[in-house]
Amino acid sequence: MAAPFVFGALLLVVLPAFLSFALAFVQYDALSPPTWRGIENFAVIFRREVFWIALRNTLVFAFSAAPLQALGALMIALLLHPERRGVRVHRAAVYLTSVLPDVAYALIWLWLLNPLYGPINLTLAWLGLPTPAWLVDPRTALASLVIVAAVRVGEGMLLLIAARRTAPDSIYDAAQIDGADRLRTFWHITLPWLAPWLLLLLIRDLVMAIHSSLTPVILMTGGGPGYATTLLPFLMYEEAFTHLRLGEAAAMMVVVFALIGPPIGLAGWLTRRWWREDAA
Amino acid sequence: MQRRKTPQRASGAATAVKPMQALSAPFGSTALQRIVRLWRRKRIGRLLRHVLAWSVAALYAAPLLWLLVASLQPVGQPPPRTLAWFPQGVAWSNYLEIFRVAPLGRQIGNSLLVSVAGALITLLTASWAGFAMSRLPASSRRWLVGLALLLMLIPSSAVWLPRYVLFSGMGLLDSYAALVAPALLGTRSLLALMYYWSFHRISCEIYDSASLDGAGVWALWRRIALPLARPTTLAVAVLAFTHYWSDFVDPLLFLKSTQRFTIAVGLRMLQQMDATNWPLLMAAVVVMVAPVLVLYLLLQIILDKDASLHLRSSRLWRDAPIHLQLSAGSRTKEERR
Repeated sequence: MAAPFVFGALLLVVLPAFLSFALAFVQYDALSPPTWRGIENFAVIFRREVFWIALRNTLVFAFSAAPLQALGALMIALLLHPERRGVRVHRAAVYLTSVLPDVAYALIWLWLLNPLYGPINLTLAWLGLPTPAWLVDPRTALASLVIVAAVRVGEGMLLLIAARRTAPDSIYDAAQIDGADRLRTFWHITLPWLAPWLLLLLIRDLVMAIHSSLTPVILMTGGGPGYATTLLPFLMYEEAFTHLRLGEAAAMMVVVFALIGPPIGLAGWLTRRWWREDAA
Repeated sequence: MQRRKTPQRASGAATAVKPMQALSAPFGSTALQRIVRLWRRKRIGRLLRHVLAWSVAALYAAPLLWLLVASLQPVGQPPPRTLAWFPQGVAWSNYLEIFRVAPLGRQIGNSLLVSVAGALITLLTASWAGFAMSRLPASSRRWLVGLALLLMLIPSSAVWLPRYVLFSGMGLLDSYAALVAPALLGTRSLLALMYYWSFHRISCEIYDSASLDGAGVWALWRRIALPLARPTTLAVAVLAFTHYWSDFVDPLLFLKSTQRFTIAVGLRMLQQMDATNWPLLMAAVVVMVAPVLVLYLLLQIILDKDASLHLRSSRLWRDAPIHLQLSAGSRTKEERR
């Protein structure tokens, strides 16, 4: 009964993963048959300045969006974890941002960040604060994308609320008897308890930040202004479907795999270690 | 950005209450103690939490509210540059207009077709895979669960390029088959694992007694396992449906002819047609978002009804490799005992 699942896995994930490595070493435009090219594809992309810009943008984007996302998830989870009246509504409000379709989410933010008519700038102007041009200004464009990605904390929040629930009340009671205040309780009990989950969440956010960046970049900035928001997935997309250089796009994909492989491996290794210790 | 502002505001409110600090103490330490003491006074802390929680919720709800407001502005006039909600009146007609301007009805139909087909196939493949995982001997089960975990770690967006090459080789480009293909592996392996977790709780005796009565594997799956896992089926259906409904990258890459476009790529078409017509674009966004929100809220309500399921429901939510690793980890722990 698992046959369709295994077949689908092999056909749609395992085979493509190998195929992308094979593609990285050929010249292929999806029309004429591929020809062997060796490591020439890598040499070509490494010589192009835009590749290095995109690599830098991708790293800056992922390493600022993911920590902010994890931190936000932690703060909101701690705020919303006690069962109180209305807490379902609060959680739902935060969570619904994360279930919105990516297209809709990107277009909504494109409107919110509109420099002239967008509600955010109107509010900022009303408060007498400076109104940046957000996505239109090359200095703030990437930061705007980071904000848009970092605000989506719904899943992280649910995960951390669930993790916080696994902490037995007895530790907290003991801490209270010992006279620990809230700050110390957080620092010595809650934070260490949540640390494994937080680390995994952070790694997962890193990987997802890179991979889910294609939709917002296509819809919100088109990689611009200039190359300010050209991230690797977008460059790959352009390379493959605008210029029909599938081999070079695949070479970039190998670079992306090399980037996210270590964090994924680390996540797997850490989980296995922690739970083995737990079981022992 | 909005989120990070609130806690600062909170601590600002707390510090505003206290008087000037003595100069001899190390910088900030007395301030910290005061805040902590205020926190300890439970009533203030509780009030503060309440206010904070509501403001966080309001901040997160604000974009949706603004979306609605923007979608109801009259077309053809420059957008208002005030914070007033409807300075030029409310244009409900926008919601009729978008169906005239763009082939939105057709695109919704296409999306429905793809989403329903995807969800139905997913229900079959995911529940089969989950059932197999729960019934297989431990050695092959570990292999299957391991495969599912591995798949979770590879985001599907990481393999679109080779999938494109593969589909073009199989002649599947510009067909709905290319969009629904992920349903073969249960859309996301998380969904197969969700079935595994809920089937896993069914005790062996039920199966054994049914087997003695002559029930085969298929009968066990259909008559016993599926009916007992009804909440999971509901959750999987919603998750799968919204996955195909929201999917943007796949139709963008695999569809060529515009009459096959789903609503996700249709929105982009609308954006490219007239990038400054915000009210109509936002109205189309509302049309796309509404079913997703309704489905999730319904799911939440139904799952909440069964209190025992509530905890699990938080684990069910969308695509989180970590949720999954955690739960799988704790599961193996239980098995060892």
